[in-house]
Amino acid sequence: MATSPQRWQLRDYVFAAFMTIGIAVASVITVPLTLSIPLPGIRTVVWAPFAGIFLTLGMARLQRSGSVALMIGVLALLLSRISWIITAFLTIALLVTELVMVFRGGFSGSVNRLLGNVLFFSSATVAGALIGAYAAGDVFAAWVGQVWILLLMTVVSGLAGAVGWWLGERVVKQLQRAGKLDAG
Amino acid sequence: MLAKSAAPALQAWLWRVNPLLKIALSIVAVSVAFALQNLAAAGLLVGLLLALLVTVGMPWRLWWGGAIAILLFTALTWLLRDWPAAILNTLRLLAILLPGPIFSLTTSPADLTRALQAAKLPSFLVLSLMLVWRFLPIVQREAQRIVEANQLRGVDLRRRPGQWFPGLFVPLIFRIVSYADEVTVGLETRSYDPNSRRSMGQPLRWQGLDTGVAIASTTVFLAVGYLQWSQ
Repeated sequence: MATSPQRWQLRDYVFAAFMTIGIAVASVITVPLTLSIPLPGIRTVVWAPFAGIFLTLGMARLQRSGSVALMIGVLALLLSRISWIITAFLTIALLVTELVMVFRGGFSGSVNRLLGNVLFFSSATVAGALIGAYAAGDVFAAWVGQVWILLLMTVVSGLAGAVGWWLGERVVKQLQRAGKLDAG
Repeated sequence: MLAKSAAPALQAWLWRVNPLLKIALSIVAVSVAFALQNLAAAGLLVGLLLALLVTVGMPWRLWWGGAIAILLFTALTWLLRDWPAAILNTLRLLAILLPGPIFSLTTSPADLTRALQAAKLPSFLVLSLMLVWRFLPIVQREAQRIVEANQLRGVDLRRRPGQWFPGLFVPLIFRIVSYADEVTVGLETRSYDPNSRRSMGQPLRWQGLDTGVAIASTTVFLAVGYLQWSQ
C-alpha cells in the first residue's frame, strides 16, 4: 500500500520505542560509573557516546522532525519514576533540539544528525546543570554557575554527542549492508 | 520493585490512590519544594514525605545508598557554607527528590499506562511506553548474555571500555533492530492501529480515597505554604 513518506506509521513508533530502550540501557551501563563525581554534565558526557548511537539510528530511520521528541519524550516519561528533575531537563533538551532542527527540515542527512546529537547532549548538560544547581541550593548554584565550568562541560558533552553520532553512522552503514535499515 | 500482592495493609492504600492524582501531587510537591527557603516548611514537607516512604517499604539497599549520598551532600554544603544552610539545602533537596520514589514504588507500570490513557495522551505515546516497559528487561537480559559470551572468549568488558562498542553495543543493536522488526510484524498481522479508539478493561475511577488524599494533601501544601510565606 502506497503511503506518504511524511506520515508516521506503526513501524516508526515501534522502532522509536526500541531506540528508547537502547538509550535507557546505555544509561544503565554508563551513569553508575560517574555517580560520585560532582561535576555538572559528567553523566551526560559518559552517556552521550553510547546513547548517541541509538539517537543517530532513530534519526536515520525516522528522519522527520519529531523523531527526537518521540524517542526522548518516552524516555523522559519513563525516568519520571526516578526523578522529575530528569524528566524536566530531558524535556528542555528535546524541545531545544526539535525547535532548531525544524528549521533544517528534520534529521535526513548525516550533517543534520550530527547537529541534532550535538545540540541534544549540549542542551541536556546546560539544562541539567541549571535545574540540578537550583535543586541543590545556592552553594552549588554558585559552583555550577561559574561560566567556564558550564561552558567546558557543554563543549565536552557536544563532543561526546559527536562521538555517539560517528559510532551511530558506522552502525547505520553496517545495518544498511545487512539489509536491516532503510535510511537516508 | 515492591510486589503489589505483598504490600501490607498499611501501605496498600497508597497503591489504590488514582495514579493521575499521584502524578499531580508529585508535580505540586516538587514545585513547592523548589520554592522552599524556610526550615520549618521544608521540615514539615520532608517529614511527611519520609513517613510515606517508610510506609511504602523501600528496600534497605536504597535507604542506605540514599542516606550516604545525602550525608555527603550535607557535609559538602556545611564545608562550603554553614550548618543552617547545609540543613536547609538538604531538606530542600530531599523534598525535591522524594516524590519520585514514593510515586514509582506505589504505581505499577500497568497503572501508569492506564492513567496516561485516561489522560488522553496520544495513543502512539502510550504504545511506545508499553513497548519500552515490556521489552526493557528483555533487552537488558540480551546485554547480559552478550557480556557473558565475551567473558567466555576471555574479554572482560567491565575492565575494557574500549571494547564496549564492537563487543557489546553492535551485537546488541542488531538484536534490538530484529526485535523491532518482529514486534512490528506481530502488531501489523494483528491489524493493530495506534490511532484507533481503545477500550480499557479496568477504567480509572475517582474514589472516596482519592477525595480524602486530595483534601489531606491540599491541607499539607497550605500548611507548608503558610510556614514558608507568612514570615
